[in-house]
Amino acid sequence: MKLAGIKNLMQKILLLIKKFKSGDWLVMLLFISLIFFITKYYWEFPQGQYLKIEKNNEIIGTYSLNQKNTFIIDSLMGTSEIIIDNNRARFSKSPCKKQYCIHQGWIKKINQTIICLPNQISISVIGNKEQFDSINY
Amino acid sequence: MTQSTIKTNSNDHKIAKLAAIAVAISLVEFFLPSPIPGVKPGIANIIILYTIFKFDYQTGVWVSLIRVFITSIIIGTFLSPTFFLSLSGALCSLLIVLIFKNYNKKNFSLISISLLASLAHIVGQFIVVRVWIIPHDGILYLLPLFLISAFIFGIVNGIIVQKLITSKTK
Repeated sequence: MKLAGIKNLMQKILLLIKKFKSGDWLVMLLFISLIFFITKYYWEFPQGQYLKIEKNNEIIGTYSLNQKNTFIIDSLMGTSEIIIDNNRARFSKSPCKKQYCIHQGWIKKINQTIICLPNQISISVIGNKEQFDSINY
Repeated sequence: MTQSTIKTNSNDHKIAKLAAIAVAISLVEFFLPSPIPGVKPGIANIIILYTIFKFDYQTGVWVSLIRVFITSIIIGTFLSPTFFLSLSGALCSLLIVLIFKNYNKKNFSLISISLLASLAHIVGQFIVVRVWIIPHDGILYLLPLFLISAFIFGIVNGIIVQKLITSKTK
């Protein structure tokens, strides 16, 4: 009984699709390719090259992501540890209570940022040149 | 008592009836919850496409504009950003339909027209949003989402209009 209902529905959908004309398929194809290209253009973020580390609103330094390194930074609450490895970066140790910054995991794409509010340290990935955002615009 | 001196003809009555249906559908749509804010099926556009291809283009323009104005007055968004979004979308899709009005009926059906009109609707709205309401490129990040919904509802509305037109003319 239920199977017959599904079969009926399928047949109805098939009948609807058969009424599409060749031009309709063309328009649909063009539309889908437009969606595809726009999605690719706006939803893809390139791999970053540098990591910017900030403490208390001051830039400590900008380091290349193409290295294996560990940074130990003293700040308000204690020492935070930041690891750069395999073109990506993360917090590995932090004195803060909730450890959100560590749970954020690795970042590697341009404009990705991890902020550790209690310890006032933030790291963000940047490309070759500084990307414009709403703040410096 | 002053007597009304405006004389109405049957064409005006036709426009009024169609616009009333479109306004009613818009209002129902306004109260339906939407999973993503801003994504709406645009069922009222079925009436407008139907009007344009069943009667003529001018009637369609009247119905479309009356729908935009009356709906916004009833909901209370008249002259607010929402109203201008609605207006720009309507004008852009009307323009596209004007261009493709005399389409090749052998190879194309109203589904194509509906798809193009829904695309124009989204593009028109995004131009207004980008230029005036949120002048930042970040808003274009939402474009794929709206385009996908335009694709789905464009096809569905197109099928419905096609069915309405062919069933009524027989």
